[in-house]
Amino acid sequence: MLNLRAVSYRYAGARRECLHGIDLDLVEGAVTGLVGPAEAGKSSLCLVAGGLAPRVVGGHLSGQVGIDGASVADWPMYRLAEEVTTAVQDPAGQLSLIGQSVAEEVALGPANLGLPRGEIEARTAWALAVTGIEALAERDPLRLSGGQQQLVVLAGLLAMRPRHLVLDEPLAHLDAGGAKVVLDAVRAAADAGAAVLLAEQRTDELARVADTVLLMSAGNIVAGGAPREILSHPTAHALGVAEPAGAALRRRLRAAGFDPDLVEVDA
Amino acid sequence: MTRPVFARTESTAASRWHGLDPLTRLVVALGTMIAALLLGGVVCLAALGILAVLLPTAMAHELRPVLRLAVLLALPLGVSAVLINVLFSPGTTSEGAWLAAVVVLRIVIMAGATVLFYRTTIPADLVGSLQHHGLSNRITFVIHNAVAMIPRLAERAREVTAAQRARGFDSEAGLLRRGRGIIALAAPTVLGAVAEVEARTLALETRAFTRPGRVTVLRPPHDSNLQRAGRWSIVVGLVALVIARVTGLLPC
Amino acid sequence: MRATPAWLRVAAGLGAFAVVAFIGLALVGSRDPQAALDGFGLVMVAAIPAGVAIYALVEYRQTGRLDSITRQFGTRTLVLMPVAIALDIVLGSAVASALKIPVYLDSLGTVLVAVLAGPLAGAATGFLSNLLWTYLAPAPFASPYAAPFAVVAVVVGLLAGTFARWGWLRPRPGTSGRRLLVGGGLAVAAMALMALVALRVWLAGAEGGDLAPSADETAFTILGWVAMLLVAGTGLGLLVLLLRQRDLAAAYILAAGVITGVSAAFVAAPIAAGLFGGVTGSGADFVIAALRQAGADLQQAVLGQSLISDPVDKVVTYFLVYLILGAMATRTKARFPQGPHLVPLTDEKVDDAPGVRED
Repeated sequence: MLNLRAVSYRYAGARRECLHGIDLDLVEGAVTGLVGPAEAGKSSLCLVAGGLAPRVVGGHLSGQVGIDGASVADWPMYRLAEEVTTAVQDPAGQLSLIGQSVAEEVALGPANLGLPRGEIEARTAWALAVTGIEALAERDPLRLSGGQQQLVVLAGLLAMRPRHLVLDEPLAHLDAGGAKVVLDAVRAAADAGAAVLLAEQRTDELARVADTVLLMSAGNIVAGGAPREILSHPTAHALGVAEPAGAALRRRLRAAGFDPDLVEVDA
Repeated sequence: MTRPVFARTESTAASRWHGLDPLTRLVVALGTMIAALLLGGVVCLAALGILAVLLPTAMAHELRPVLRLAVLLALPLGVSAVLINVLFSPGTTSEGAWLAAVVVLRIVIMAGATVLFYRTTIPADLVGSLQHHGLSNRITFVIHNAVAMIPRLAERAREVTAAQRARGFDSEAGLLRRGRGIIALAAPTVLGAVAEVEARTLALETRAFTRPGRVTVLRPPHDSNLQRAGRWSIVVGLVALVIARVTGLLPC
Repeated sequence: MRATPAWLRVAAGLGAFAVVAFIGLALVGSRDPQAALDGFGLVMVAAIPAGVAIYALVEYRQTGRLDSITRQFGTRTLVLMPVAIALDIVLGSAVASALKIPVYLDSLGTVLVAVLAGPLAGAATGFLSNLLWTYLAPAPFASPYAAPFAVVAVVVGLLAGTFARWGWLRPRPGTSGRRLLVGGGLAVAAMALMALVALRVWLAGAEGGDLAPSADETAFTILGWVAMLLVAGTGLGLLVLLLRQRDLAAAYILAAGVITGVSAAFVAAPIAAGLFGGVTGSGADFVIAALRQAGADLQQAVLGQSLISDPVDKVVTYFLVYLILGAMATRTKARFPQGPHLVPLTDEKVDDAPGVRED
């Protein structure tokens, strides 16, 4: 389990903090959604949870970040990478460019870990299958569409078999079909025991896969709870978070005097 | 599900030369280069050319393309060498011609060794070989990524070219305006490449790129004791050559 | 805590470099001074690593670690280096084939890395650029002549990184009157002198006074034009910096460019003369031919040509790097090891400088 206690963070070269006193628990087997308006701090929180801030981007972190109760403050990034992996925005930028094929790109993480070849091949095959891109295994990653590259990046992270997975807007370049693949992969990872933090603007899809949802605003977590509850909350709407279509339908049914539970809605 | 295959097997190598460990080919290419720089007279350079360039090229069945490319690359320099040393030199003509011949031969040998190397080597295989022999994955990353980046950058440059042509580059637009237009298009190319650095840095770190210790090599080379002996002989030979040249014992 | 003065290890490194260089030159030049010039490149190849090794040794004795070196090679630097190497090779290739004025523009990436990450990172970038240019660059870009000049690129990287560390690339807008007058005046005078000498010699060497770029591949031709405009634009740009923005950095850029260029010329000329008979396949060749016709011997002609071209080339390079840095956000620069040396000095440290809050 990954914990954040009273975590505040300021970027290098910035005057003000972008995160204030964050408390967060990422429980194994659960998907935690993260919503909020732009500039709320979702991406920053993803970087902090993934250990990339402050280790790789610099800046100043106060508070406690721990795994299974032990502080990871003095863990180097490569050690933390075995526990938690992060996907940031910009899929093409996250490709290493040294993988001759999609399979090699996906295998990069396990190869860095020094695993035996057989283990690497098995993990790569599994990651490609879960993300549904086996057919792309021999293709050049640079020649793929944005959505396909997104899946390659995700597969590369899954091949690390991390216990915690942090994803910053992974559905950005995907259509409905691609989004379904990613969400199924995320659910599969969670069911296999990983703790997932998923920051997303597309609340429809998020509601389908998240076990809890946290609402962020101005660097604080202002609310947290079941997806249905949080995403339909007036505070969320006031902050500009889109209401999932299913929840909107239920609300309108209730307002018109119907019992919303009579209708089966996906979210 | 099928297991992914990362490397070529020996049977797919196009020739004995292609099947060698890329490190061996690199040592031969570098060694030839350094020897060409150290050796002097026409005779010695010709011997080097035959032994170190023609023979391996023949072994690799690449005689035609390598020789053609090598001569093409050497031509502009060859012409300049003749111009500078023969036509414009205030010394005697035969002296200048001799010097020009040495320079031209040296250039052709270096070009030949270079062309042979990159025609018969895939960068990914070379990187795999270097990693196998213990080179840190940081250095191999830089080399591999740099080679991959060159065509990408060139392609972006071509896009700039096309955009410029669409804007009528060949027209009589004022030099300053043309210049500003080009720079305005070229700037995002460079800055875009620099901006990608951040995302790539994070993506690498989260996949344990900086982990000390050996990385598993996905494309291991086909090394042998004979090749190892050959590489060390070349190194020893070069050292001897350097000493001979510095102390003046070199007959060439 | 033990005192760990940085100057001590720098001095040790420089001392080692000087000793090895001296011994090397004496050894090589013992038979005749001509050979000393020939062997200069070789001596550098031995002397520079010796200096770096002694520097590293002293740091290890002082602190038990090699932080000042490893800091320069973090992941971010390693990701920037390939971009820089590709820049060096692509721009350098285009200029070499299309440009008739003897500038090279093949160290833009090297200087960029040196300035952002440090002298050793810059040196490594330059070294790899030249080697890869010869050995691994794909077809239209490969050049067999680049590798022997790797040691020149190392010198460029070391100098650029050092100047950046000394704050020479820090923007200084709104400099006060007297300093601006002195610094700016010197800079303008130097530029005028360089331009006059360069133009005279280049026009004398060019075929029929035609300096327009041309090459077989159109992309190269256009890049050649870009390069030529960059050269002309640099002079203009430096003047704009001085006069409109009162940015004294223009004078520092000029100084850095000239010092780097002159140093590069002295290291490169013996290599070009001794190994290639002075031939480089670029517009420089005609200049050399012209100088030889005027009576100079090969060594002098090559050195003369280099002393005119290299400073111009390096001033343009530094200026372009300055522009690129100006286009980068402060928080981006701040993440690089030498970032704090590249932002304007304010009352507060970079850490607290105003920046954009990110999502």
